[in-house]
Amino acid sequence: MLLLDYQNVLIQAVLTERFSGAPPVSIDQTVSDFDGVIFHISTPESKSKIMVSLQIRCYKDLVRYGAEQVLNREYGPYVVAPEIGYDFSVVVDLDNLPAEKEARDELVNKISLLKRNAMAAPFEQAYQEHYRLREEAAKFTSEEAPQGVREGGTVKAIQYREEEAIYVKASHDRVTVIFSTIFREETDRVYGKVFIQEFVDARRRAIQNAPQVLFRNDPPLELQGVPGVNNTGTGEVGYVTFVLFPRHLTPQRMPDVISHIQTFRDYFHYHIKASKAYIHSRMRRRTADFLQVLRRARPDSEEKERKTASGRTFKQGV
Amino acid sequence: MSQSLRPYLQAVRSSLTAALCLSNFASQTAERHNVPEVEARTSPEVLLTPLTIARNENERVLIEPSINSIRISIKIKQADEIEHILVHKFTRFLTQRAESFFILRRKPIKVVGYDISFLITNFHTEEMLKHKLVDFIIQFMEEVDKEISEMKLFLNARARFVAESFLTPFD
Repeated sequence: MLLLDYQNVLIQAVLTERFSGAPPVSIDQTVSDFDGVIFHISTPESKSKIMVSLQIRCYKDLVRYGAEQVLNREYGPYVVAPEIGYDFSVVVDLDNLPAEKEARDELVNKISLLKRNAMAAPFEQAYQEHYRLREEAAKFTSEEAPQGVREGGTVKAIQYREEEAIYVKASHDRVTVIFSTIFREETDRVYGKVFIQEFVDARRRAIQNAPQVLFRNDPPLELQGVPGVNNTGTGEVGYVTFVLFPRHLTPQRMPDVISHIQTFRDYFHYHIKASKAYIHSRMRRRTADFLQVLRRARPDSEEKERKTASGRTFKQGV
Repeated sequence: MSQSLRPYLQAVRSSLTAALCLSNFASQTAERHNVPEVEARTSPEVLLTPLTIARNENERVLIEPSINSIRISIKIKQADEIEHILVHKFTRFLTQRAESFFILRRKPIKVVGYDISFLITNFHTEEMLKHKLVDFIIQFMEEVDKEISEMKLFLNARARFVAESFLTPFD
């Protein structure tokens, strides 16, 4: 529960149930995910044909960085023309499922990773760019490398939320991923700072091979001249930089690293909120304790003498 | 308890006990009114000299006595930004429940720097035991510091744990 899942659990649950061989029913379900992503699961033609559509804010950006190729590669035979109002759709025919259970489970997993795969395109492109630049750089010593190789590729911006973006930049010895994140209120900003500080220090202390994490409130140098990045100077926006080193950039580790780094923003904010909730419940408990102490200041109400109708007095047994 | 905390709390305790010598006193300026004089400030002759007890520049208590009421304001230690936020949240949480705390003031007094204020009137001392009221204030001062530093420690510990578990899969 500490780490967030990469796939969408609701889609996974719905599809697993449908694929289990239960009689087909008509579905019309809207599922939301992080970052304002909306899925629509429906059976528009017949009960046995399930369509899953994805709507994502930054689809235009993603297409520019090759999202269509990635999605076609992943979902090849299932891709159909996108449903109206959505960006990408796949259709699965229940009468035409793979025979083995493992293959079916794999298909379910694949579809529930729709958002992850759409967002992965710019990262994959950055990986390819990194491989290319590394090969080119290998021909030169670091001093005489031409400008293009030394500088690295262009910055890919993914405006995945209204005010927040991911920037990916490849160069010959690293891939830099920068998250811009916004803190709505002072408390979040302070808590965020505490959390980020630990991310920055974790590498020094415990996990030497982790990517380097940097944090600053003004845009990092990599983002100079990138449209949409401006220095507000209010400290509301934070820039978290992950530097992925060659050991994270091997083709074998690519899928895991991409999936994992995508969850950073949600993970980070989720734990800030969770800490706030815990501290709130703690304050509630402490307040109850204080009330208890104050109540002791009130003397016990003295036992009153009671009288019966005839005028005799008695004491109530304790 | 640290060396300097004990005499500090002892000084607050004795001063409070001395100051909590209240009697019923009707307003001299408005007929049929009976208001806490320390708040109304209409007759200077019933106000006594305010007293500040400071442990250091970050922690102090202001006691403002008068004939029928006293006001106690506390400045809670805030070493950094995190503690500042936590103190702010905690005092806000308490003052929103001022109704059930009887002696808690809804807002700290206007003098800059105090985080939380209590107002004790003669009606409170008539209903409640005076030495227990003093106990409450002292215990409050002790525990608030403890609570704030515990919350801060928790936040740091959680942040560390969270950061490490996010970065471990990269390893």
